[in-house]
Amino acid sequence: MANALAEELDKDEVATKAWDSAVLGRLWRFATPHRGKFALSFAILACLFFLELASPWMLKHAIDGPITAASTARAALEGGEFDASPYLRELAWWGLAYLVVVLLAAVFRYLEENQLTRTGQAVVTDLRAHLFAHMQALELSWFDRHPTGSLVTRVTNDVENLNELFTSGLIVLLFDMIKVAVVLVLLFLVSPPLAFLVLVLTPVLIGVSLVFRGGARRAHRSVRARLARLNGYLQEVLSGIRVVQVFRREQRVSRRFGAQLADVNEAHFRTIQLFALFFPIVAWVTVLIQAGVLWRGGYAIHGHAITFGDFILFWFWLQVFVGPIRELGERYNVLQSAFASAERIFLILDTPATLAEPAASRALALPFRGHVRFEHVSFAYDPRSPVLSELSFEIPPGATVALVGATGAGKSTIVNLLLRFYDPTSGRITIDGVDLRELDTQAFRERLGLVLQEDFLFTGTVRENLVLGRAHVSPESMARALEVSAANDIVQRLPMGLDTELAERGATLSTGERELIAIARALAGNPALVILDEATSSVDSATEARIEAATYELLRARSALVVAHRLSTVRRADKILVLHHGKLRESGTHAELLAHNGIYARLHALQFREPE
Amino acid sequence: MLSRLHHEPPPSREPERVRRLLGFVRRFLRHRRALAFGVACIPVVAACDIRLTLWFGDALTRLQAEEDPAFLKGLFFAILGVAAVQGLFRYLQRWWIVGVSRKVEAELKQELFDKLESLPLAFHVQSRSGDIISRLTSDVENVRMLIGPGSMYVLGSLFMVPGSLAVLFHISPGVTLAMSFPLLLVTVAMMIMTPKLQRHSTAVQESLAEIAARAQESFAGVRVVKGYGLVRHEIARFRAVSETNRTHQLKLARVSGLQDAWIHLSYDLAFLPVLVVGGWAMIDRTLAVGDLFKFIDLGFKVFWPVIALGWIAGLFPRAVASAQRIDEVLDQRSEIVEANDARTLPSVAGALALREVSYVYAGAARPALTGITLDVPAGTTLGVVGPTGSGKSTLLNLLGRLFEAQGEIRLDGVPVKSLTLDCLRGALAYVPQDSFLFSDTYRANLEFGADGPLDEAALRGLVEQVAMTSEVNAFPSGLEQLIGERGVTLSGGQRQRTCIARALARDPRVLILDDALSAVDTETESRLLASLRRAGRGRTVVVAAHRLGTVRAAEQILVLREGRPEALGTHEELLERSRWYRETWERQRMSAELAEL
Repeated sequence: MANALAEELDKDEVATKAWDSAVLGRLWRFATPHRGKFALSFAILACLFFLELASPWMLKHAIDGPITAASTARAALEGGEFDASPYLRELAWWGLAYLVVVLLAAVFRYLEENQLTRTGQAVVTDLRAHLFAHMQALELSWFDRHPTGSLVTRVTNDVENLNELFTSGLIVLLFDMIKVAVVLVLLFLVSPPLAFLVLVLTPVLIGVSLVFRGGARRAHRSVRARLARLNGYLQEVLSGIRVVQVFRREQRVSRRFGAQLADVNEAHFRTIQLFALFFPIVAWVTVLIQAGVLWRGGYAIHGHAITFGDFILFWFWLQVFVGPIRELGERYNVLQSAFASAERIFLILDTPATLAEPAASRALALPFRGHVRFEHVSFAYDPRSPVLSELSFEIPPGATVALVGATGAGKSTIVNLLLRFYDPTSGRITIDGVDLRELDTQAFRERLGLVLQEDFLFTGTVRENLVLGRAHVSPESMARALEVSAANDIVQRLPMGLDTELAERGATLSTGERELIAIARALAGNPALVILDEATSSVDSATEARIEAATYELLRARSALVVAHRLSTVRRADKILVLHHGKLRESGTHAELLAHNGIYARLHALQFREPE
Repeated sequence: MLSRLHHEPPPSREPERVRRLLGFVRRFLRHRRALAFGVACIPVVAACDIRLTLWFGDALTRLQAEEDPAFLKGLFFAILGVAAVQGLFRYLQRWWIVGVSRKVEAELKQELFDKLESLPLAFHVQSRSGDIISRLTSDVENVRMLIGPGSMYVLGSLFMVPGSLAVLFHISPGVTLAMSFPLLLVTVAMMIMTPKLQRHSTAVQESLAEIAARAQESFAGVRVVKGYGLVRHEIARFRAVSETNRTHQLKLARVSGLQDAWIHLSYDLAFLPVLVVGGWAMIDRTLAVGDLFKFIDLGFKVFWPVIALGWIAGLFPRAVASAQRIDEVLDQRSEIVEANDARTLPSVAGALALREVSYVYAGAARPALTGITLDVPAGTTLGVVGPTGSGKSTLLNLLGRLFEAQGEIRLDGVPVKSLTLDCLRGALAYVPQDSFLFSDTYRANLEFGADGPLDEAALRGLVEQVAMTSEVNAFPSGLEQLIGERGVTLSGGQRQRTCIARALARDPRVLILDDALSAVDTETESRLLASLRRAGRGRTVVVAAHRLGTVRAAEQILVLREGRPEALGTHEELLERSRWYRETWERQRMSAELAEL
């Protein structure tokens, strides 16, 4: 069982094409603004390549020049006094030239990695920002459909894979091909018969490399999948350790873990086997080529077709030739995973943002009065089940309208529509007399005072959380907001005051404190229109009283749409709308509705917390 | 509990650090046969490598002496033969040594896993699972890398480098000495740069994690982001962390480019004396062209072993830090142990007695539970209710000694601390609040509760008892259906009922339900409760619940408030005596009415 599952896991990761010119074309569009950087990368690679070729060439000339000349001269002297100094001087010059070349090579080698990284990062940083911005423009339901974890993977791992593509993938691969071609030509220039021999044996090397590539990828995939399963099981056991211990199943679970470990190791051993075979085979084929070169080359030297210098030059250049071919398989794999990532990224970039901004959006007229009208608004996420039907109501400037209803009555949908997360299926919503669809959404939202049920705070300082990048929030308005919301002493208690860094989701603060900060955040913008979705979580009574007071301050003299859970809030509302299954069933003030003794009267007894 | 160190090793003294690693070396030595074979291959590989170069060089020297090249044919096949032998040994060496390192890795992981399983819940509550998992994965890998492949490369270098230099020294001591110094620079470069590289790549990893965290937050809080019109703001913030990552990537590239340039330069410089001094000697006729070739070719072959030496030296500090983090887990001791004279009960009736039981979580300001004294006669039901955080789950966990209680808990009159864990926990079954199930087959999840495989009838019976028959029949693979991540997703209520079935598979004397019916609708709940009562006559049940209807029929109900017992009595008694109980009961009743509106 365990084994069958392990093998099934191996097949799981879908293989994709290693070469996709359509994807490549789209990627190239992100690369074009950085053409100059690509050109410079290429120039540096070319210089380095030239220097790599130059040092063996100088060695050849030292051997064929002063060294051979000296020994010929000495032989000609037949034992007479031999003056070596001119030859030594020439040799010293070659040595000096060699030194210059290797120093230059060191400089270019340093520049090479820098420039490749610079190029890749330039493209990838742009792409990442573009991708993130595009995702931000997508509608809310898209985020509900996709698990956050996988979205994060798109902007991290997948973008990193593309970085690989641009640094060690494409440029280097392209250049490797040029290298192989150039060196092959040079080898032919040194000695055509030897070069021909190399040309005949090279396909063997390429073949081994490519065959291995496939095996290595499969083996790695299988290791990865099995390891993921093992770690998943570990994670699972750690989270269920209570159950394991109460049921005294430590041994059974341990055996199971052991079996999965064995699966992982089986895959590891396949990988070891593969690599243990691959390296020696490639080494042997390389020796085969070298031995062939020696055999034929020996005859060529003997027949004076080539010199010793030529032979050594050939030998060195052969190393330059073989290197890229050995790495071919590795590069191919980089390409393959990069293309898979690119496809996933483009899938997101191809998702259109459905709520299009109007062609000519109207700026919010200031002063903003906060006059809201819902006119025959209907909405359905899915046409077969309408969520709201024919809803009409008005929030006159300065008035508070409270929404009340059981879960699923449509309260949060109304909030979502007013925030323009969605557009109504029919009917319209106007703000100060202007259709919401015609307004500049971003500018409208910035002017709202928003307190959502999930009192979401961001990592960053308290100050940043209060300002939230709104230009119209001044230090004074922030101070006033903290004052009236009674959030001041929360801030004062923090070690660094307003500059205290909050942990993820504001975890450093208690639930009640987060709610107060969220109210202060809304107040800081001095909004004309407030949207408040009250939290249902329970807090201690002292905090509850403070939240109540702060809510009162927030709603005073402003237009407000409230999803109410507190009795105090609902009591003070100018109008209460009772929703049931997406329809407006009752409306009026608290006293009127209680007297009516309908749905509201029941809801009232059930939902609204009175301080104990 | 566990130290929170991640990247920087603590300043521990050198002998101490070495001793830690030696402990892991000993694990490798358990496989001494395979290791001995593997190590024995290393000198053979090195010797073949040197032999090949010598043959190539000698051939050139013979050609220089204008010898008849007919010898080349024989040499060709001799070279291929030696290369094949070398290949074979290279294969065996890798297979044995790397193989052993993987075996040791698996053994170490198993040992760590078993250790973790034996540690009490108090340990697990306090440590983050991410941290523990990284000890079991990347730390183990760091140690394996050093002792396994690391030592293979070091040993290879130790044969190859001195061997080659000795051969070359024999040819020309001067040139050999002159070329050794630049080669030494390679090792130095690696030793100095590898820790720097690791630091920078850690910074890159951290900035990537920062990108992930920003994205995660932005996507998770998308309602606030959009609602406040923060999109532009968020994009700017994201761009900032992305830029930080770019900066670190460029720094890393600078260091690794420097290392690369330095290594290659050192290597290239090693050939300068070969060219000048060697060339001089050739002009002097003390060196043949074949000898020059030997210098060049062997120089090329020792290049990588020399790099490897430095690389391994650079890996050392990280491996030591990892060894320490692994040891921290292995050195943990469980406080919940069986007494030396622990006894077993021949049969358990299921009577529970609690005397002044309390519990304080490590580091907590106030006790989670305090002053609980009560008796649960065998075969009766105790309900435990109270607001969130009042200590219900803690109390339930104390019964099976998942936490060690202060005060005394007795099972059938015997203190649970003097019972064997098998006896105590064998008598209990527990249904957790989080309805934890394994991502495994439905059958395996039920059998987890039983002591052995269950037959079809028994399984069907369990499924029937928890009212899951029609759902299980609807699974594409029935009882063999995979559930969880790779299989079907169960609803909250289905998970809870499955957890109950798993507990029933044990036929326990004491059944503990931790708010185990919260996601089941009230109708199913009452059916389930009735079936539990029918099947478990004589069974003691302890049930914590939010919904008071769940515990209504219990013989006793305990109301907990902030860890203290507020009231104990029957449903009717509590309606009189406890304000909280009465109000909660009223509210829940109305809620049920409204649902039917």
